[in-house]
Amino acid sequence: MQSANMLLKKLARCSVFPFAAQHGMKKDLFSLSRTLILSHCLKEDSSRSPSEKLDLDAWKEVMKSRLQEVSATASEPKETSTLAAAREILEMWRLAGRLVPENVTEEQLKTFIECPSKSAKKKYLKFLYLKELHKKNDKRKTDERRERRLEMQESASKTEEPKRNQFLCLWANSMDKIYNWRVAQSMIFGQPLVFDMSYEKDMSDREVANTVRQLVLSESCNRRSMDPFHIHFCNFKDDSLYHKEFIKHYREAWGKLLITVTDQCYTDIFPKNKLIYLTADSPKVMKTFDHDKIYIVGSMVDKSIKTGVSLAQAKRLGLETAALPLEKYLLWSSGAKNLTLDQMMHILLTLKDTGDWKKALEFVPKRKYSGFVNTPVRELKTALNLINALKLRKRQDELRKQFAKNYSKKLTQK
Amino acid sequence: MALFSQTSHQGLQGLLWKCRMFQPVSRCQQLFAVSFGIPSREKVSSFSSVTSSSTALPVDPKGADAFPTKKRSEVTYEEEGWDEETKEIPEEKPRLSSFAGAPKKQISHIALRHKFAKVQPPEKPLQAEEWNRLKESFQSPEVFEEVMFNSMISYNSSIDVAKSLLTHMAKSNGDIGYNLLVKYLALCVQQGKTSEICDVYDILKIRFKVLESGAYNLIVRGLGNSDQWRKALTVLEEIKKAMIPSRVNYESCIKAACRHQEMTLACELYHEMLTKDLVPTLDVLQTFFDYSRGMKDPELQKELFGILLYFRANQIYPHKTLMRSIKLWFESIPGENWRGHLTNITNSGQCPVCSHQLEDSELSEEEYNNLSERIIRDVIHGTDTFRKTSPQEFEAFQAFVENRFPFDIVIDGLNVSHIKPRKLQCENLFEAVNCLAKNNARLLVLGRKHMLANSSNWKREVMKEMQNKADFFFAENISEDDTFLLYATLRSGKHCKFVTRDFLRDHKACLSDSQTRQLFRKWQRGHQIALSPSVGGNPMKFLPAFSYDCVVQTTGDTWHIPYKDVYEEKYSYRVPRKWLCLHRKYRRM
Repeated sequence: MQSANMLLKKLARCSVFPFAAQHGMKKDLFSLSRTLILSHCLKEDSSRSPSEKLDLDAWKEVMKSRLQEVSATASEPKETSTLAAAREILEMWRLAGRLVPENVTEEQLKTFIECPSKSAKKKYLKFLYLKELHKKNDKRKTDERRERRLEMQESASKTEEPKRNQFLCLWANSMDKIYNWRVAQSMIFGQPLVFDMSYEKDMSDREVANTVRQLVLSESCNRRSMDPFHIHFCNFKDDSLYHKEFIKHYREAWGKLLITVTDQCYTDIFPKNKLIYLTADSPKVMKTFDHDKIYIVGSMVDKSIKTGVSLAQAKRLGLETAALPLEKYLLWSSGAKNLTLDQMMHILLTLKDTGDWKKALEFVPKRKYSGFVNTPVRELKTALNLINALKLRKRQDELRKQFAKNYSKKLTQK
Repeated sequence: MALFSQTSHQGLQGLLWKCRMFQPVSRCQQLFAVSFGIPSREKVSSFSSVTSSSTALPVDPKGADAFPTKKRSEVTYEEEGWDEETKEIPEEKPRLSSFAGAPKKQISHIALRHKFAKVQPPEKPLQAEEWNRLKESFQSPEVFEEVMFNSMISYNSSIDVAKSLLTHMAKSNGDIGYNLLVKYLALCVQQGKTSEICDVYDILKIRFKVLESGAYNLIVRGLGNSDQWRKALTVLEEIKKAMIPSRVNYESCIKAACRHQEMTLACELYHEMLTKDLVPTLDVLQTFFDYSRGMKDPELQKELFGILLYFRANQIYPHKTLMRSIKLWFESIPGENWRGHLTNITNSGQCPVCSHQLEDSELSEEEYNNLSERIIRDVIHGTDTFRKTSPQEFEAFQAFVENRFPFDIVIDGLNVSHIKPRKLQCENLFEAVNCLAKNNARLLVLGRKHMLANSSNWKREVMKEMQNKADFFFAENISEDDTFLLYATLRSGKHCKFVTRDFLRDHKACLSDSQTRQLFRKWQRGHQIALSPSVGGNPMKFLPAFSYDCVVQTTGDTWHIPYKDVYEEKYSYRVPRKWLCLHRKYRRM
């Protein structure tokens, strides 16, 4: 029966197709064939045994028979009603497949409720979700590593292992000592580098946390360098958010760090004519690294675009400003020209050691530029724009015209 | 359709080639192989025309016997399906995206949607073992149901198929996930199966204490579109207990009420929505106009006029279809004889149809002072005066303006100087100043200090000559000169205009509330002159400022409503030139 069906079908298809297509009357033919086949189908359906019949609404019975899920409210009777409601909503969102973390602390719930808008709530939840995901992945990896180590130890139970560990310990310890010694030296003789900590009011809590993380990174890479800066945290208020975050990161080491932390302004500590405020908004471009000057970096992470905040600060205090010569040395492609604090630290350290811009600007993220500059930038830029535009299939003629225009402009300028 | 004139083998090859236009070959072939169960290209030839027609999922060719009930009728469908395979399947409609596929095991829903976009759902209910087989042959079984439901929604397959999958799941797991229930609900709403929507809603209520907004939106919309629309209102009440209903909820309910001519109920809901600070969609407002056609109900009329005044207050311009609804409603009011005409209004501000002079765009004294204060406070000073200027500089500028105002025209020197790229900047500016100084107007040119340095672009002689004709103020090179432009113009009074080609978006953005922003835009329209460069020997041309105000306006016997061609408003500084003119024709007694 079945094979006969198949055969019929094959035949019908093979014969109908080319023919139909040739005559461009596929529709009519098929509507015809459809009626034919339908009758054939009906026969089939009736031939089906009743036991095979699908009960399409069976699932409703199954679902209705299940009682209401006891959600996690039993475990937390202490929570107030708003928190509980928020928790329920989150749970439902998670079930609906939104990006929501599985475990939410009470503190996070409160933050969630305080979010001013729907989109802010969504963003916050997504942030928590990703955080949770990374945590889980890290945990999984460490577990795997531990298992592997255990296996290794079992397979090769040699006695040399602990010795080497000890040696490593010693090595790290002595390295730490050397680093500390160097930094201590820089505290006496080194070139000061100031981080301006006066931007807390311009930042959200999360931005402050990110700033502190970047500062911790910068401090550590400064400690490891051959010739460290003497780091100053100026305008640092005790019990500020910065302070709390630092304590979180350094714990008891905060008191032992070899840096100068002060609530004074840098203008009170250093002579004004020696200070240079580094800011991307500055109209002046830094040509060389000056070992007699004291550079100031604003400790600020700016996720919403507030332009000119640090430039305003420099203007207010009447300080000289400078920007890194990114345009001069790099073919900038995309992204903001303000770099993170640790990138700044790397760049300044490299400049201090070598004075080589190319080497220093290696630390600018690779995604932001498309290469180092050998020829005059402007020509390259127009060419690059043209190439990009052609890639993106923009209006080519217009661009060609523009290119020609720019070119003629350049000729007149020379 | 030419595809099918070839033999099947060539057809498949052709298809592959066709696909190549859309995406990289490898992925395309892979997809193709997945959707037709072809392990490799060699197999294509032997795979003549026996694709399993009940599903496009990977199927063992021999396994085709497992479908004894293959309909020939499906062949056509599938052929069409083939053609669809070559097209990019469109994204789900935005209204469905709120509950797009869930990330399980770190597969984000976007990946889900793209990776498995080509999965075709079966066309008739399957037995449990058939579902099992499909699931096993699927490349990532853990998201099989999810993907299946997504594709059912995009292919709009019959709900029986979905039911059979649900039944299979309920029998094998004893439970169905919330997200799948919501997807099934979406399918039912798409096809308007009211009884199913009610059933799913009951089940959801039994299983869960509260639902989330996605499900509620679907339920309210589904019920609102059916004859059980009263039920949607009860659901709305329920939503209110748990959260603030979304504007989509209200939209569905209001539309349902309008559809059944319950205008008072619709108005109540509308007001409730406004009190909850929800912004009504233009769609809802259009529904009001559409369903009130031909009614003689003074209360309702007041409501609709209220909507028009809401447009006026918030500077909203209706789009074409909404404008048409408004026109038809006016013309349908019994015994009032409204006539609507579409027209363009020129710079004079006179309506060519009824020769009514539109309101002029002048701000009132109070608005003027308010705007000046806000510009100084938010735009110039902001959080930190040093960001755009410095206190000393601003004071100097203020003193400068006080000594010399009122000006007639304030010019943004640097902006105007770039008007013709081939010319020197000072020449451009010189031309503009000469042009504007003809009528003995008092000019103020704002620039930056670098213009004073004798450079190739800024010749000292030319600058000198210009300074005889106009007052100049040079700001610091790192200051914002635009803010000075705004201040000087506002300070000089209502008659003063300013010249720049800048749209001043960033300054508008500095203003903190929307009311002031609208005020700013209105003022800008009335006072900004844009220059267009001179062509050939002709002098520069000015695009004069609007003399009339571009808002919905009425005199009682006339309404003038500006409208847009497109739905989306792209730029806030652009105002529509097209108007709907409505006026009453009184019968002569």
